[in-house]
Amino acid sequence: MNTGIQKRKTIDTTLKVLLVLFVFTVPLWVTSPTTLQILIFLFLYAYLTTTWNLVGGFAGVLPLGHSAYVGIGAYTSTVLFISYGVSPWIGMWAGGLIAAIVGIIIGIPTLKLRGAYFALSTMAFGEGVRVLVENTMQLGPFNINGPRGICVPLIPGNNIAAFQFLSKVPYYYIILVMLCVVLFITWYISRIRPGYYLAAGGEEPEAAQSLGVNVAKYKVWAMGLSCFLTALGGTFLAQLALYFYPKQILGLDFSFELAFIALIGGRGTIAGPVVGALILRPVSELTRIYLSAVLPGLHLVIFGLVLILVMLYQPKGLVGPLEKLYNWFLNKVSGTEKEVRT
Amino acid sequence: MDIIIQALINGLLTGSYYGLAALGLTIVFGVIKVINFAHGSLLMVGMFAAYWMVRLTGWHPYAALIVVVPLLFLFGYALQGILIKPILEGQRDVREPTEVIIVTTGVWYILDNLALMIFGAEYRVVQTSISGQIFMLGDYIFPKAQLYGLITTAVTAGLVLWFLKYTRTGMSIRAASLDRDAASLMGINQYRVYNIAFGIGAMIAGIVGCVLIPFYYVFPTVGVIFDVKCFIIVVLGGLGSIPGALAGGVIVGLIESTFSQYMTSTWTELIVYVVFLAVLFIRPAGLFGEKRDW
Amino acid sequence: MALLEINNVSKHFGGLKAVDQVSMSIEKGQIYGLIGPNGAGKSTLFNCVAGTYGPTLGAIIYSGKDITGWKPWDICKLGIARTFQIVKPFQTKTVLYNTMVGAFIRTSNRSEAEDRSMEVLKSFKLADKAHTLAKNLTIADRKRLEVARAMATEPEMLLLDECMAGLRPNEVDQTLDEIRLIRDRGITIFMIEHIMRAIMSVSDRITVIQFGRKIMDGTPQEVAKDERVIKAYLGESYAAA
Repeated sequence: MNTGIQKRKTIDTTLKVLLVLFVFTVPLWVTSPTTLQILIFLFLYAYLTTTWNLVGGFAGVLPLGHSAYVGIGAYTSTVLFISYGVSPWIGMWAGGLIAAIVGIIIGIPTLKLRGAYFALSTMAFGEGVRVLVENTMQLGPFNINGPRGICVPLIPGNNIAAFQFLSKVPYYYIILVMLCVVLFITWYISRIRPGYYLAAGGEEPEAAQSLGVNVAKYKVWAMGLSCFLTALGGTFLAQLALYFYPKQILGLDFSFELAFIALIGGRGTIAGPVVGALILRPVSELTRIYLSAVLPGLHLVIFGLVLILVMLYQPKGLVGPLEKLYNWFLNKVSGTEKEVRT
Repeated sequence: MDIIIQALINGLLTGSYYGLAALGLTIVFGVIKVINFAHGSLLMVGMFAAYWMVRLTGWHPYAALIVVVPLLFLFGYALQGILIKPILEGQRDVREPTEVIIVTTGVWYILDNLALMIFGAEYRVVQTSISGQIFMLGDYIFPKAQLYGLITTAVTAGLVLWFLKYTRTGMSIRAASLDRDAASLMGINQYRVYNIAFGIGAMIAGIVGCVLIPFYYVFPTVGVIFDVKCFIIVVLGGLGSIPGALAGGVIVGLIESTFSQYMTSTWTELIVYVVFLAVLFIRPAGLFGEKRDW
Repeated sequence: MALLEINNVSKHFGGLKAVDQVSMSIEKGQIYGLIGPNGAGKSTLFNCVAGTYGPTLGAIIYSGKDITGWKPWDICKLGIARTFQIVKPFQTKTVLYNTMVGAFIRTSNRSEAEDRSMEVLKSFKLADKAHTLAKNLTIADRKRLEVARAMATEPEMLLLDECMAGLRPNEVDQTLDEIRLIRDRGITIFMIEHIMRAIMSVSDRITVIQFGRKIMDGTPQEVAKDERVIKAYLGESYAAA
């Protein structure tokens, strides 16, 4: 070991620790609720794309209806809260469970087939759920209020049990912790047998099967886990916004956005979805705010162009070149010439 | 009884242009093995092209085919050649390059929103010589524009099948759809074949545009409505299957028209999804699809 | 008792009888060759044994167990590993990752799977390429990885589907040595091969099939002399010319 590599390692670790410290101390010096709200949404998107990535990235399929599971999470915890006063903290697990079961049921027939079937089926399923909710005022004992959507009843003041806070700071920490947890889950899965099997089955299903992998089974479990975690994010979204309606929370656009953030960031990598959210969300928000007043639609033309350019020049996502850049920087400051494997 | 028969007639008429729209999608999938998410947008482009042709010249909407068909063919040909080919080249080893889905979605966003920027969001109609005209057979009503649509669907599907079966280019398309590596070894220029297949898909979207113009609104996001419908139809019928696309279209048309006798149209939409999911469970590869197809 | 017994196996695709009532039995520790002209049904028979699809008729018995119609992953767990004629590495993953997928069948422990994989890679002279991405390997190395990956599942029996096709003569010799080494470790080998020189020198016993039917089986010497076999192959070479 030469000193350069030692130094490189120290700098690498220091930077990462600083990043974590930075992220966790943001509310101490950022007081503007608007800024916090933007960051919260950023993390929520990073969270949802990371859960999408569990099946869309690692299992190598393309789910295009994940908003259905966000919606299942939001609606379940909210109607339980309205009808029975069940705390959203408990309701979110119920939502997750329902989402997982639904995801597994949808996954069983479709995950055995060619990927295109899966993509189209999940998309049609997502649209089906939206149409169903938009046409339903009363679902069993629950009032879901059709296309107008529902409000989470306001509880005055900070109420931990009701998952409602006056300040944005608790929301910030909750979603940050949730994001860290799913990142950890993703990292952990990528290092154990099911992770290897998922990746193998996603790339070459026949070869994986001949090596002892029941490919469809692992994909179905990944789908279940992904839907479960996605629904938890749905509850968070409901508690944060306190009002939601089918076109927004169950919309096709939302499903596509989740998929594209992950794909542009780098599907199947751990950091990819986060990178995607960090880059794309501000871009799409800023262009929407500043351009839609000038020429409606222009921001989506730009978004379309970005999609095409990334796919043409960085089909594996932006995380690859960013990693290279970071490594180049590390080598530069620590004086190590050659690329070092970590 | 009369009402039911009339509903079935309506369903068949509607289903025929659904099927025609899905036909373009399924041909592209059959050859390149990827879904063209910009298909609905191509249809929108076809509709606007037909709209302006009729509006500016006052021609019969089917006369607009002379301009719209080659225009859309070239558009599809160029789209594949410029945007999709580099991805297919880079992902030679991948069976189903999902990147293509994303690129075509990018095209979708761009086309729909360009249309929005240029033409605005309003719904447009154009009065054509066949708009609102009907043809009576006994007590049953056949709107002329839709009847012509049915005939156009039959003729187009027939021509496409003939083209694939009996022409040299058609045969190389079929060969490339079976095995793209083997076909390229046999001296088939696979990318030219893809360009043509994509061109045909877009061309059919243009034909649908001309068919729809006499009785359908034109607006920038009209493609999205057909996108989701086409996806359901091709999965119902079996991806890549031509008879599957037509049958799927008619099934969806019939469901919509018969159930709308008993419920509101939003609920019939839901019935379509339910049937779709049911087929998915019973026959996951679709009605005309191959059973085990990884 | 034979390790693998193929009893009257037929596989029909629609009206086509790709494999038609083929029987053979492979003893433990043998290197068993399967030859025949292109399209004779060799790979189809392999796929029936490996569980890619079930045979239309007949039975496949492996060490006394009827495995007809079993799924590929269950057959692999039982101890039959296979390679593919067109190699299917996990392209975007490293060589080590590829073999670890195989090794995970016998252990769920990651470092154990890694250790076993490295051992296998060493024996296939791929250890120094362990961290290379599979897509960056040469054809010969890809073919070797295909076998190494199958060996990582610690099989009792290995099905090799044309693992020498497209290799240079010196690479073929190297592969033959490796096959003998595998056999010396007590692993039974059932292989399809087109390179006559190779299969004749390495096999203990050979079955010849043509048009889905078995023509004969015997030792390499017997096969080489057999008139029907010569005819089957000469016919093919005429057609090729």
